[in-house]
Amino acid sequence: MDPRLSEEQEILRKSARDFLTEKCPKSLVREMENDEKGYSPQLWQEIAALGWTGLVFPEKYGGGGMSFLDLSILLEEMGRVLFPGPFFSTVLLGGLPILDIGSEEQKEKYLPEIISGKAIFTMALTEASGKYTASSVKAKATADNGNYVINGTKLFIPDAHVADYFLCVARTDDKAKSEDGITIFIVDAKSPGISKTVLKTIARDKQCEVVFKDVKVPRENILGKLNQVWGEVQKIIERAAIAKCCEMLGGMEVVLDMTVAYVKERIQFDVPVGVFQAIQHHCVYMLVDVEGSRATAYEAAWRVSTGRPYSSEAAITKAWVSDAYQRVVALGTQSHGGVSIMEDHDMPLYYRRAKAAELTFGDARFHRKTVARKLGFEVA
Amino acid sequence: MDFELTPEEKAFQKEIREFLDKECNENVVAETLSMEGEGPYSKELLRKMGANRLLTPRWPVEYGGRGMGAMAEAIKVDEINSHHAPFPLDGVEVGNALLICGNEEQKKRFLPGIARGDIEFALGYSEPDAGSDVASVQLRAVEDRDEFILNGQKIYNTEAHFSDYHWLLTRTDPSAEKKHRGLSLFMVDLKSPGITIRPLITSAGLRTNEVFYEDVRVPKENMVGEKNGGWTVIMNALYGGGGGGGLATGTKRVIDTLVKYALEEKQDADENQWIPETMAGLYIRTHVGELMGLRATAFADLNVSPPYGGGGAVSRLLGGDTRRLLYNTAMQILGPYGQLAKDSKWVPLNGEILREYMDAPRWTIVHGSQEIQKLVIATRGLGLPRR
Ligand SMILES: Cc1cc2nc3c(=O)[nH]c(=O)nc-3n(C[C@H](O)[C@H](O)[C@H](O)COP(=O)(O)OP(=O)(O)OC[C@H]3O[C@@H](n4cnc5c(N)ncnc54)[C@H](O)[C@@H]3O)c2cc1C
Repeated sequence: MDPRLSEEQEILRKSARDFLTEKCPKSLVREMENDEKGYSPQLWQEIAALGWTGLVFPEKYGGGGMSFLDLSILLEEMGRVLFPGPFFSTVLLGGLPILDIGSEEQKEKYLPEIISGKAIFTMALTEASGKYTASSVKAKATADNGNYVINGTKLFIPDAHVADYFLCVARTDDKAKSEDGITIFIVDAKSPGISKTVLKTIARDKQCEVVFKDVKVPRENILGKLNQVWGEVQKIIERAAIAKCCEMLGGMEVVLDMTVAYVKERIQFDVPVGVFQAIQHHCVYMLVDVEGSRATAYEAAWRVSTGRPYSSEAAITKAWVSDAYQRVVALGTQSHGGVSIMEDHDMPLYYRRAKAAELTFGDARFHRKTVARKLGFEVA
Repeated sequence: MDFELTPEEKAFQKEIREFLDKECNENVVAETLSMEGEGPYSKELLRKMGANRLLTPRWPVEYGGRGMGAMAEAIKVDEINSHHAPFPLDGVEVGNALLICGNEEQKKRFLPGIARGDIEFALGYSEPDAGSDVASVQLRAVEDRDEFILNGQKIYNTEAHFSDYHWLLTRTDPSAEKKHRGLSLFMVDLKSPGITIRPLITSAGLRTNEVFYEDVRVPKENMVGEKNGGWTVIMNALYGGGGGGGLATGTKRVIDTLVKYALEEKQDADENQWIPETMAGLYIRTHVGELMGLRATAFADLNVSPPYGGGGAVSRLLGGDTRRLLYNTAMQILGPYGQLAKDSKWVPLNGEILREYMDAPRWTIVHGSQEIQKLVIATRGLGLPRR
């Protein structure tokens, strides 16, 4: 057992932290909340040039050939500064699925575009129910002369407004069991019949409604197997949940640091408020949550990285980190007092994102049910 | 980064597991579960473990250990707990301090005996007026030529009624300006004239003791560290072990047992719909606590401080809370049957849940209460200001 990062990982962490501290100050984060695109294309090109968009992809497609754990460290750093933009969507919900189950032609076509920062990807999976279950996939793809026609409405799709491609998860067989009739299509976002509406969200991130109306997709754009891809979709979600937890971990660290620093300085009753045990205990419980999240997120990421099964660990991690981040922002806010609920304070930026992150890829309750099933319970 | 035990650690785990599978028989388990303290079967098992160098894997080979790390110690603790084997923690803790603060003669005299399972120690810190504030102890030690004369009272000294020695914190300088600078530590033969031991029993049935000292004489060579230097010695006893434990095999096994029980007895009833998710929550807490402890232990073995300091204390805090939650939930799952004690007609799961439920509060009080742990983490780990 070795809990340390490797030397290379320490270098990656340090260079990411230096870069992001300089290039992604809170002023940019706030600006992007109100920006139509929600990210800076110039910064996007810079991170592509640094090799971040290609970090985790094999060298033969032009990528960095680094591991999922390396990517997790980068995500933790992005989580610290609340890095805005479609990085997560493009890499976790676009590139990695293509690398997993794409044909060689698809990999050669799309991965270099992702790696070079040219193409933005996202996955159009969830619908009106907001759930990550097979039965929630109602959008239909109908065979038509060897091609497919997609109809349906996808909801809460991250970064759809700027995406060049969607991985659209649609039902291709509605007579089979709900897990058995699902297919993924790579859809060009410029295809006729697609309309997008940016939703107004708590984190002011760009989640969208995407309506597919008679959208034609060529047959060769099927990603993976026809009808039999739900297992892969689940893996994609589980891995994305782990990656999201690493991002959340970064955010929690900053909230803890910010709180500890503040309570050492804020004077009331002639002493720093950090002298009071009530406040000390708030901080200690925040630390328990940060370190617990770190332990479980790293373990899960390590499992993905080393090719071990990670389905249980994804559920454990997302359940724990979702709740932990909520506790951390609640105690952090409480320890700060009034100042931290003012709009121009940094705390609300984290407070809002903690909730958004909790609600994506399944909240704690959803994942506890998964763990319950793994323990042997039958749970609806 | 790597979350696997090393091949050496796995081999040790396999060795001690197989050993206890075979040797920790029902007589031993009955003694452990009685909570009355070690009996003859426990003593016999400890000696066998000692003969196989299973008691003190972390100590140097010359003193009866295996020269392994904190992870091996965590493995040992996990296997002892999950087998309900006797738990000679105090001797190991004493030994950890002796390794750092003892003189060569003391090490030779005591360490191999502890490692063999021959010598056992009881911890003698707490007094009626010195609990968390352990530096307030009053039991008086007065120098008299080549001896010290001891007078006073200890309380909650759990293993005193079957141990050989008392690891005794005393006051040698009542006028010291800082009270923790007037303390000295002695190893006292518990058979010495003038010692009276009286039982105190917790509501879970755990036997602990009051120990009274009346003109008890202890030779000077049994003092550990310097005169008035007792504080350093007990800090090494309490924290010298390092690491954070970790492995939670026993707890996971309890969760499995409860899941099986719930599946057999509680499946259909609508009012039991809360059980799966709640048990999953406890499993998750246990798993997270296990990983935190393992990380802290691995950091200790590498002699590296973990991010944010805190280390093992942080995972202990989570673990203590988890234990209470787990057994409280377990009692709720059993419902009215949860009230039934061992040997009662209709008792479920051998009464073990009730016993653990009653015993759970102990773990957030002993060895530095949760509040004291938080104080330590806040001030040392996070650098928050002291009062
Ligand atoms: C079953 C059992 C076995 C034990 N075995 C041993 C043994 O073998 N040897 C031995 O020496 N001792 C033993 N102890 C004693 C144990 O170490 C003490 O109980 C423990 O240190 C707490 O002291 P106390 O009970 O006097 O509580 P107190 O110190 O009186 O504390 C009362 C409450 O105040 C809180 N508190 C105290 N100080 C502070 C502070 N500064 N900040 C915030 N909160 C504070 C405590 O956390 C607690 O909640 C045992 C105790 C029990 C119950």
